[in-house]
Amino acid sequence: MNLFLQTTLNGLVLGGIYSLAAVGFSLVFGVLGIVNLTHGIFVIAGAYGALVLFTKLGIDPLLAIIPIGAVLFAVGYAYQRTIIQWAISRASLVASLVVTFGVAMMARNVLQIVFGPDVHTITPTYSFSSLTLGDLRIDLVRIVALGASLVLLSVLALVLARTHFGRAIRATAQQPLAAELSGLNTRNLHGLTFGLGAAMAGASGAIIGIVQPFTATSEVAWTLNAFIVVVLGGIGSPAGALVGGLLLGLINAYTAQYVGPALTQAAMFLVLVLMLLVRPNGLLGNAFGESR
Amino acid sequence: MSALPERKTQADASGQALLKVTGLAYDYSGVTAVNDCSLELPRGEIAALIGGNGAGKSTSVKMIAGALRPRAGKIIFDGQDITGLPAHQVVELGIALVPEGRLVFQHMTVRENLLLSGHVRRARAHCQQNLEHVFALFPRLRDRQGQNAGSLSGGEQQMLAIGRGLMTRPRVLILDEPSLGLSPILVAQIFSLVRKLNEEGISVLLVEQNVHHTLMIANHAYVLEKGRVVQTGEGRALLNDPKVKEVYLGLA
Repeated sequence: MNLFLQTTLNGLVLGGIYSLAAVGFSLVFGVLGIVNLTHGIFVIAGAYGALVLFTKLGIDPLLAIIPIGAVLFAVGYAYQRTIIQWAISRASLVASLVVTFGVAMMARNVLQIVFGPDVHTITPTYSFSSLTLGDLRIDLVRIVALGASLVLLSVLALVLARTHFGRAIRATAQQPLAAELSGLNTRNLHGLTFGLGAAMAGASGAIIGIVQPFTATSEVAWTLNAFIVVVLGGIGSPAGALVGGLLLGLINAYTAQYVGPALTQAAMFLVLVLMLLVRPNGLLGNAFGESR
Repeated sequence: MSALPERKTQADASGQALLKVTGLAYDYSGVTAVNDCSLELPRGEIAALIGGNGAGKSTSVKMIAGALRPRAGKIIFDGQDITGLPAHQVVELGIALVPEGRLVFQHMTVRENLLLSGHVRRARAHCQQNLEHVFALFPRLRDRQGQNAGSLSGGEQQMLAIGRGLMTRPRVLILDEPSLGLSPILVAQIFSLVRKLNEEGISVLLVEQNVHHTLMIANHAYVLEKGRVVQTGEGRALLNDPKVKEVYLGLA
């Protein structure tokens, strides 16, 4: 029983991080209709950014979220307004798939050249403490990571629900023509949404860096995870990302514990296929209707 | 009963109509939709654009509102050339298009729909006041302000779409087929609303297939056929035109 509880706890903590890492992907997919295969690069770039800030300047990874988010927001905005926009306007929405895939490969190689092939981890002072609750034991970093993820997801949900910026994003996703007629600059909003997605990914990367080892090649896994989270939870909302992420975390933890660590990928894809068969819009559906 | 509208066409200070469109043209990937659309909307009047399906009415008003970029032609608003300006900038100048098919934001509440367009710079300072004005015009929207727009009936969605346009404090309101798919009672309500808004000082460009109602209230009407304005005249005068009678009113 304790083993089960411990596994569940581990799964939920992992799931919280999956949720944060996926929410930007989900937003971009829902609002712009773009499957952004560069998403994992943003996550890993965030992790490397936190590593550099921590080792060179001694900045705590949780504080590093702010500068990393700002930089990735700018990078994401510029990337969407140039390369992605060019590809879409000259070819089609599908072209963005090829373009983001190509950029991801190049960016991965650049990261490998700059940081080398070694596996990195970020180890702030609280890395080696843990909390115990009866027989359950959990690392402090994991609690911190989960807490930070939940706070960031809640902030994003509030921004989307309550601010003019959030309403503008939702309106643009649902009805681009009417949004434009209502005075919204939808091209600019697409760029801002993409930037916001990249910033959330970078923030999750800084958190991932303190919980898990990472290399440049981990980016592939994080893009894939984001994709699975969106299929499980539903497109476009922080709530959908949270549900999908927690579910994925639990699947991962249970499979690793009870079936075998080698089979986690297989289990993830099995659930993915089943989900697509049974409920292709995800558990919470598309936040912006059936348009995509 | 007077056969002519009471108000004379009033030119503004510069001797120009408030909205003047000349020779607009648009192609949808090589296929010409609008060829030569020219019309004028004098300040304070109601102008109508009528014509059958596929005549190019919606394409024309989308160009005026900036949602489509014309291949040729000129759009002059209040003496200023606005040809090719994007829609979100045209709204800021005071032209609001209520699009065909209403296009409300289905997964947002009625209130959110209204607040969104009420946030344009030209109207932001008066947002609360404008909201009250829209709710006074459409009490149903006040009752349902917390409901998702997608749960409204067709007529209510049309009211919301018009309300969304009014939130931007327009000087010119363009209504694209506002009576489409509505019951006869609602159709009559929409037309009396158009009149009322016009009396409040908003110039209206009305695109309609409900030709009879439209010509009754329009000062001036333009008949669009295959992307070209083929006939124009005072609203009620056109009602008695033999060709309009035959083609658009089904009277031989």
